[in-house]
Amino acid sequence: MQISRNWLEEFVEIKFSDDELCNQLTMLGLEVEGFSKFKSKITGTDTVIKLDLTPNRGDCFSVLGVAREVAALNNLKLRLPEIRKIKISAESPIEVKVSDEAPIYSGRYISGLNLKDKVPPLIQERLKRSNFKSIDPIVDITNYVLLELGQPLHAFDSKKLNGNLNVRFAKEKEQIELLDESSIKLSKDCLVISDETKAVALAGIMGGADSGISQATSSVYLESAFFKPEYIRGRARRFSLQTEASTRFERGVDFKLQRFAIERASSLIFDFLGGEFAPVQEFKKNSSIPKDKKIKLNVDNINRSLGSSFKTSSVKKVLENLGMKIDLSKTNQKIIKANIPSWRFDLSIQEDLTEEVARLKGYNNIEETSLKPSFSKGKDPLNYSLRESFKTMGFNEVITYSFIDKEEALITEKEENLVFIQNPISQNMTTLRPSLLPGLLNTLFYNCNRGYEDLAIFELGSVFQKQKNNKISQKEVIGALITGLNNRNYWSNTKEPINFYDLKGNLEQILRGSSNYDFIKTDLPFMHPGKTSLILKDDKEIGYLGAVNPKNLEQLNIKQEVILFEVLADGLPKKITSNFKRFSRFPVASRDLSFIVSNDISNNEVIKLIESKCGKNIKKINLFDIYEGDRIPKNKRSLTYTLSWQSKTKTLTDIEIDKIVENIVLFLSKKIDAKLRS
Amino acid sequence: MDIVSLSKKSIAKLENAKEIESLDKSYIDLLGKNGEINLLLRSLGKLPKDERKEQGKSLNQLKNKLENIFQLKKESLIEKKYLKGLAEESIDVTLPGRQNRIGTLHPVTSTINEISNFFKSFGFDVQSGPEAETDYYNFEALNIPKDHPAKDMHDTFYLDNGVLLRTHTSPVQVRTMEKQAPPLRIICPGKVYRKDSDLTHTPMFHQIEGLVVEKDANFSSLKGLLNDFIKDFFGEEMDLRFRPSYFPFTEPSAEVDIRWKKGWLEILGCGMVHPKVLEMSGIDSKKFFGFAFGLGIERLAVLKYDIPDLRLFFENDLRFLKQFP
Repeated sequence: MQISRNWLEEFVEIKFSDDELCNQLTMLGLEVEGFSKFKSKITGTDTVIKLDLTPNRGDCFSVLGVAREVAALNNLKLRLPEIRKIKISAESPIEVKVSDEAPIYSGRYISGLNLKDKVPPLIQERLKRSNFKSIDPIVDITNYVLLELGQPLHAFDSKKLNGNLNVRFAKEKEQIELLDESSIKLSKDCLVISDETKAVALAGIMGGADSGISQATSSVYLESAFFKPEYIRGRARRFSLQTEASTRFERGVDFKLQRFAIERASSLIFDFLGGEFAPVQEFKKNSSIPKDKKIKLNVDNINRSLGSSFKTSSVKKVLENLGMKIDLSKTNQKIIKANIPSWRFDLSIQEDLTEEVARLKGYNNIEETSLKPSFSKGKDPLNYSLRESFKTMGFNEVITYSFIDKEEALITEKEENLVFIQNPISQNMTTLRPSLLPGLLNTLFYNCNRGYEDLAIFELGSVFQKQKNNKISQKEVIGALITGLNNRNYWSNTKEPINFYDLKGNLEQILRGSSNYDFIKTDLPFMHPGKTSLILKDDKEIGYLGAVNPKNLEQLNIKQEVILFEVLADGLPKKITSNFKRFSRFPVASRDLSFIVSNDISNNEVIKLIESKCGKNIKKINLFDIYEGDRIPKNKRSLTYTLSWQSKTKTLTDIEIDKIVENIVLFLSKKIDAKLRS
Repeated sequence: MDIVSLSKKSIAKLENAKEIESLDKSYIDLLGKNGEINLLLRSLGKLPKDERKEQGKSLNQLKNKLENIFQLKKESLIEKKYLKGLAEESIDVTLPGRQNRIGTLHPVTSTINEISNFFKSFGFDVQSGPEAETDYYNFEALNIPKDHPAKDMHDTFYLDNGVLLRTHTSPVQVRTMEKQAPPLRIICPGKVYRKDSDLTHTPMFHQIEGLVVEKDANFSSLKGLLNDFIKDFFGEEMDLRFRPSYFPFTEPSAEVDIRWKKGWLEILGCGMVHPKVLEMSGIDSKKFFGFAFGLGIERLAVLKYDIPDLRLFFENDLRFLKQFP
């Protein structure tokens, strides 16, 4: 909302500078977004002030409301505009039936008008400074009163109304054409003003086109009504029709203002346009009019909540300045009863008044105290230590959007398992990611295009899937991607392309040699069929690791091999401090064994067979060489292991070890036809 | 026999040796079993007694002297050879060293961690919660009823079945209060989503929400805590102000501005937890007071690292990311 200082000064005498005024308003909670001085032929040196009001302060959407705050803070008197005594010379042809939702409706019939006239320059000037267009004199005056007092008014061309008015709910799919020439279909929860044939206005939001005033209008019916906020809220937004009226009604308009506002508008019409006036009509449904609120408060509670030590008398003074009548308790001088003014829809409990006291006393005048320290349990739900580990291994952390293109989501997930956003911000952000892969590949693509060929990146974040019961599952996943050459720019090393085992090694470092994890070969449509592994923890799948299917890279014009994994963050070992474990002081006995086995037998299988026969003192089985070539038969490979044993209680003898080795060799020969290579 | 000239000649022979091998040979020639000195010693018997005694003494002295010289010379030749060997291994120390890849954390992560560490030192626990959230936890339980104008401040992304992407991290407060009895001190960092995109807004960003529920939590200690936090985060005393604002879930509510360049810049929102919010989460609002605060991570990171455009955070350009080791 924008208003000029000159207008504000009509309501309250301001003796301080613009800076001071705007600072006061901001510190009262009416945030000044900006203000600028201007010179006007009509108001002289003036300032326009732009306010960013919070939704609770519907009462401040007017010059009167802002003036009230300034007056309250500075102990100043508030001046209200004068109401003219108007001679009654017409009779209203219209009656209005009110309802629970619209319990107050003030109306006035005015005839004999000539709308070719203009409102005076002062009104035009003030409307312009508040960003209102000048339309016709009646609309200008109703807008002027809306800005001045905060009461939205509406003017019907009374000749276009059929009979009496009635405030009612719309019928399902009832059509109405509005003043902005839009035509909308209403639903049953929309309040309308209706004549005897059809809806003539969307209550509290906008008037209808058919009954609107035009240059030809000579008689009007003015409306100054109170609609309950809960029956206006949400409707304007639903039809994208947020108007000056709806903004005020949905926040709450002073329910004692209707008559005053219609008389103020009448005074202006009388002064500038003349006309024949019927008496002001007041239609009320008393049982539905909001009750006057009283809030009981205990000054001790206010001080306890603020950490302050305000005296009862000073609390009382603040509240009185805000227009509240205060009743003191006879028995306890700390207890106060405040009668809440009809314009303050935001005040209903003691805490609301606590804020009023703090606001008027100044938030910055409440002393600061230090919070007493305490102990933290040191939880790490965001997996900070896991991120640190990847950083240490040379990965750059990325954060990509949680919503992605549907096509990208379909790379890893079936359509029926995807979660869609009903109101996406753009067509390539329609789907919640079911996987981190698209985001990682996009990051690769983005950086490749900018000259980065070697990447090691990771991301930790949520992925989303629709489950069979239609619930959304969200899991924390860590994904990493590497590609390019090892040591590309280094002068000494051989420049080998990064491969599967580089990233597997990184992941194994995180797993810290735990035997709960297994890698088994798998086939995923978006991954390379020969170079992909499932990651299992205690035989349960927690992710995959492998080379991205070159088909998916082709589209991104990436030709080098890209290795990627995704693992459930919960599946990875947490940082734990374990107790010291005793190590053996007896010597280690080692043997190197080379087995020639068929190519299709995995290293894991061989190790498992060896493990099963090497006794309890086995310490480590380490693969240290693989050979394929001329010196052994085709389709076979030689795997060389170093086996080490160590006892906690004695020195192991050669005889013992040789016997074990003999057993292993025999067993492997029987099971997988492994030949010992000499 | 001229001992003096023998001595001169023998010493020179040892001293002049250039290699360990020639030194060893000279040693054998002089002091070996059949070396010159030993031969002379053996021939002493032919001399008269007096002369023999005198000559014998001189020869033995010479023998000891030569032994010493030999030892020293040998050590020095070994040392020389060793040094020569090392000299041959010499490298170009100006060649670049071998480095590991340098990893980085995203500035959002680092900022969250830095902020978390401050609050952990005051006994706050870190909590997390779902990003796809229900209307109840995102709005209703925070005293934001359906159609309330306060909802206009949250342009919400909707999913199916009344599920939405959380517009703030405040739902985690409610979830924590439902599970845990006070006293409570928690912070909840995480992603939030609003349908908004321009220079100063991205549709996804990060927030940290903080909550204290204790018997004697009050606005004064909230102010003290946030003042300390801002000082800690920016590393210096900052000029800041608390001004009244509105959040449906706090009463009183405040916005905190810091003085930045020429004006005031809003950096966080806070307030005393609304008694309705406490009650809805099963906490007796007569016994306990709460305060809460929420701040945007990117907003703080932008100030701290002088980042010109919010979109840089999610483009993941390595030229950007590598600047935050």
